Amino acid sequence: MPNGTHTVELQVPIERIWAFVQDMNNWAPLVPGYIHHEILSENQSTWEFKGDLGFMKKKVKLQVDITEWLEPTKVTFNLKGLSDNFNGGGYFEAQVIDANSTRMTGYLDITAGGMMGAMINTILKNFVPETATELTDTIAAKIHEVEGVTA
Amino acid sequence: MPAKKPAQWHEEVDVVVLGTGGAAFTSAILAADQGAKVLMLEKTHQIGGTTAYSGGVPWIPMNRYMKEAGIEDSREDALNFIKRLSQGKEPNPALIDVFVDNGHAMIDYLHENTPVRFSVPGTYSEYYAHLPEALHNSTRSLDPDPFDLNTIGEWGSLVRQNPLFPPLTLNEGGAIGGIDFTVVADRMENNIVTMGRSLIASLLKGALDRGIDIRINTPGKELVVDDNGNVIGVVAEKDGEKIYIGARKGVVLASGGYEWNKELVKTFLKGEITHPMSPPGNEGDALIMAMEAGAALGNMSEAWWYPSMQDPTFEYEGHIINQTGSGRMGPNSIMVNKYGKRFVHEGTTYNDLPRAFYEFDPVKLEYPNEPPVWMVFDQQLKDSTMIITMMPGEPTPDWVDQAQTLTELAEKIGVDAAGLEATVARWNEHCDNGVDPDFHRGTTHFENILGGGGNAEANLGRIEKAPFYAVPVNFGALGTNGGPKINEQGQVMNLRGNVIEGLYAAGNAAMSMLGPIYPGAGGTIGPAMTMGYVLGKVVGATASRTI
Repeated sequence: MPNGTHTVELQVPIERIWAFVQDMNNWAPLVPGYIHHEILSENQSTWEFKGDLGFMKKKVKLQVDITEWLEPTKVTFNLKGLSDNFNGGGYFEAQVIDANSTRMTGYLDITAGGMMGAMINTILKNFVPETATELTDTIAAKIHEVEGVTA
Repeated sequence: MPAKKPAQWHEEVDVVVLGTGGAAFTSAILAADQGAKVLMLEKTHQIGGTTAYSGGVPWIPMNRYMKEAGIEDSREDALNFIKRLSQGKEPNPALIDVFVDNGHAMIDYLHENTPVRFSVPGTYSEYYAHLPEALHNSTRSLDPDPFDLNTIGEWGSLVRQNPLFPPLTLNEGGAIGGIDFTVVADRMENNIVTMGRSLIASLLKGALDRGIDIRINTPGKELVVDDNGNVIGVVAEKDGEKIYIGARKGVVLASGGYEWNKELVKTFLKGEITHPMSPPGNEGDALIMAMEAGAALGNMSEAWWYPSMQDPTFEYEGHIINQTGSGRMGPNSIMVNKYGKRFVHEGTTYNDLPRAFYEFDPVKLEYPNEPPVWMVFDQQLKDSTMIITMMPGEPTPDWVDQAQTLTELAEKIGVDAAGLEATVARWNEHCDNGVDPDFHRGTTHFENILGGGGNAEANLGRIEKAPFYAVPVNFGALGTNGGPKINEQGQVMNLRGNVIEGLYAAGNAAMSMLGPIYPGAGGTIGPAMTMGYVLGKVVGATASRTI
């Protein structure tokens, strides 16, 4: 199962991180290759983005279902391909380091199914961890920017 | 105009080769083996050009691998077959002999002196095997053996990626479906390449073993000529700076065709290629340089045509990938124009079918078959065949038009509904009768290779089970094959019929050796590498000039 985890430390209190992460509109555009998203309900949204698979790019549509809002520490979600045959999930988790700093972890797993699954999963082995890292880093940078923290 | 000789060269070599495809590498290796100091310049960030992007298959009569497999072939048979196809349209008949006489020698040479290895693809026969002049029950096409990219270290990452073919050999179904995706995954994990990438990687290793200097991101921009009009070097560009490189023996143009240059395409071709199936760097640089140097041109109205299709969710270097589009000749399908009418045998070869696109109606004064035309099929084909990237049993992606009725489908795709209804009714009648008197589906050998049959039973199937589907078919090409006129030694000729000293051309950068024909899989690369072999020996052995 292609997956990736990435952890960063932010000089921001956990509550401020939660305030940012709980509104998907804040960070959806930060997804690598973002095209657009649509919020269908508190727990359901659809996304379209262009994944960079190295030598080519692939446009995909997927549905994200939030399975758990655990304020202020964790958002867990499932995802399902709408344009292609894949499924997966992930979470963002925040842990208090001290009153002004927080450790944030992003996790993502995606598995392709169908006849081409074996081949696509080989490509995803690099793509998924790279995406998890890039997304987590980009969100962290954005939170720092919003909160006025200079690196 | 070409550039004038500079006061001082930035560097001097014996031979400058522009491009890094099959023709380029073969010429560079042969020139180096005659003792020449060779420099290869690649415009893009990847090595391999159109060859790496392709099946990597050379079509070569009387080759050693055929002999080892017990396949009989002869010079006379090969010549008869080529001339049957070319019908006198070749720009220089002597080049057909040069090809037949040197192709197998080129394969021998590479086998004996480089890591390049091929096999006879037993499952992939000649495209025109139904013709009496053709080779029957075997093939002159050669299938590159899998190559381990790890053996060339960091150079491996520079071998151009191929988005058209998975890492399977031709024999393993890499070009025709029936793909074992677990083998594909294993090869990807282990950096094992096949087809065009394998051919280029093994040629690259041969070049590296000889110490040939290869530079990426360094396009040749202009030829340098002396006062007599002889080509004595090139002006290349690196990081925005001009570099004058002297070529004591000669310059080889082997940097591909012009299919991505809209202006040149419109100038020379009968049909406008809107969906090229090659690296986007093929913008006619060699053609422009050759014209500036006064080259005569040949075969300019031709290309390696292809009815290309798209899954618009895939991009390569900023463009949607134009794909080979499997499923085109499946039984429960037809191809129609804007009137909803069939206009061609849908199962003919990819080089032949698009010739129907530029048919002119002298009464209506229009090109009725100008793409996009439409592949129309039904649920039966969708359930049984991979169509572009859509696998049997998978949900229909939103880039495939579908409808419960043919009329509704026609309206969706902008095709005459009554015309489509009538065409499908007639097609179904043909299927019931087991014969297609309109376009003779189920009669060509190519349908057997790609459609698994080549007979009425396999290739004629009613279109009757809803939903009905349509995907556009576009005017594509694997490359262009017109360019500077060359003689039997690969030397470029001027408009007066004289040689332009110091200038050579091969592959898609030159006039095709066989003119407009595509004799079988590898009809592009076989002649390209053969001319690379011929001219590489000539330019490598020529006397050095004081430049």
